[in-house]
Amino acid sequence: MTDTRAHFHGELADLEQTLLNVADQAEQMVQMAVEAVCLPDMDLAAQVVRLDVKIDQTYLDVHNRWMQLMALQQPMAGDLRMMSVLLHLNTTLERMGDQCVNIAKMAQVTYGLPRSETIIAHLREMGDLVRPMIRTGVEALVRRDLDEARLLPAMDEPVDRLNRNMYKEVVECGPDPELLEWATRMMLVARALERIGDQVVDIAEQTAFLLTGDLMEFNDDAFSGGQPLGG
Amino acid sequence: METRTQTDKTVDLTKEKVRTPSFDVSSLAGQGDPMLAQNPVMIDVRGLHVYYGDFLAVKNVDMPIRQNEITSLIGPSGCGKSTVLRCFNRMNDLIETARVEGVIEYHGVNLYGDSVDPVEVRRRVGMVFQKPNPFPKPIYDNIAFGPRIAGWNGKMDDLVEESLRRAALWDEVKDKLHESAYALSGGQQQRLCIARAIATSPDVVLMDEPCSALDPIATLKIEELMLDLKKDYTIIIVTHNMQQAARVSDRTAFFSVDVSERGRTGYLVEFARTQDIFTKPEKKQTEDYITGRFG
Repeated sequence: MTDTRAHFHGELADLEQTLLNVADQAEQMVQMAVEAVCLPDMDLAAQVVRLDVKIDQTYLDVHNRWMQLMALQQPMAGDLRMMSVLLHLNTTLERMGDQCVNIAKMAQVTYGLPRSETIIAHLREMGDLVRPMIRTGVEALVRRDLDEARLLPAMDEPVDRLNRNMYKEVVECGPDPELLEWATRMMLVARALERIGDQVVDIAEQTAFLLTGDLMEFNDDAFSGGQPLGG
Repeated sequence: METRTQTDKTVDLTKEKVRTPSFDVSSLAGQGDPMLAQNPVMIDVRGLHVYYGDFLAVKNVDMPIRQNEITSLIGPSGCGKSTVLRCFNRMNDLIETARVEGVIEYHGVNLYGDSVDPVEVRRRVGMVFQKPNPFPKPIYDNIAFGPRIAGWNGKMDDLVEESLRRAALWDEVKDKLHESAYALSGGQQQRLCIARAIATSPDVVLMDEPCSALDPIATLKIEELMLDLKKDYTIIIVTHNMQQAARVSDRTAFFSVDVSERGRTGYLVEFARTQDIFTKPEKKQTEDYITGRFG
């Protein structure tokens, strides 16, 4: 097959690769941020903040390249859908980086406070669930695999459950004010991890849009099928 | 599913009839917005094959053209899109070996029926060509020529003005109506040809690459004009410019071509709403063509 728009398609592929690299970095940052909280490790926390500065720079760079391609190349059909996915992916990954920074900052502000090993174990579990989600979400996009994309809502379900249960565990820390302060901050860590899980589901929805042309909401009730948005 | 409600207008395309001089086509005005219900089908193409001699040039086209919409025909060179366009006002009759099989109904009347007068068809289905082709006459006479031949007996000055206004040309030429049409710019000449086409009160206007000889500004003016005109006319346009099809048309037909030893046979790949063709075409062939992957 002759590609009469080989240069444009090359630039589109480069843009996608840039964002896939950011996604790998985000996955790594989730691990570092959770470890920074759980160990705790202030060097790791500082490293997460530094890495996010790089993600923010890439975000601006991708945005500029995206605008240029849109204005100069006027993509259509599958190319147009890819452009839409990349714009969405750029924003989503930038926010994921911000959530990792939120987690790292919680590690910093709670340093030296007493801790609950139960809560630590649950946060680790959440981190261990969210990282494979990012990998699966990215792989589904790379392989253009609708079935794989549709796995994400089910993978997100235990993350949501752990986040909901966190409240009870925090209340149990009640009698000790210092422990309660630490635990309240950990609720925000759980919340950040839950948000990252939702963001990966968003990426999977974008992959489905790329492949089908229909934007679907993958909700928990219909994760195997998906419901078209807006009728 | 697409419904094929036909226009409720009755037409008489036979030769012997009294011509009713009326420019007012407001009774034809329909709902131009493609997002609203389906407009009625004005030209219904079913199982169309076009032959030159015994060579099959275009095969098996099914395409309901809807009233007050702009339909664009796109596809690579030799895919038969112009051939199909020229069937709609029987321009292919002028090629001796050309032969049409299948049905093209206009307001429910078979355009290739025995009693149909091709001249009457061309009055109702006007045409604008790739290169502006004004007559070597004054601007006024370019517009008045068709109606005079058709036996129009209303006030010619009014008809000329109204036609030029509709073609968004009046303000530019009102002070030089009796100067040669050749003194106009290319874009103005093309709008003059559109004014000339609508002066005989057609309800369909065919355009065969109307902007390919024009600069970008003149092109955009024609496109704006088309969007204005679709309130009153049904427009079918052949264009090589996919962005143009995307900008102006409500529905797009994508044609492709089979190449054999005997020659090239065009066929319809996909006919759908323009927004679907350019965001999520159903056929891979359409996708490959509009994203620049051929082969």
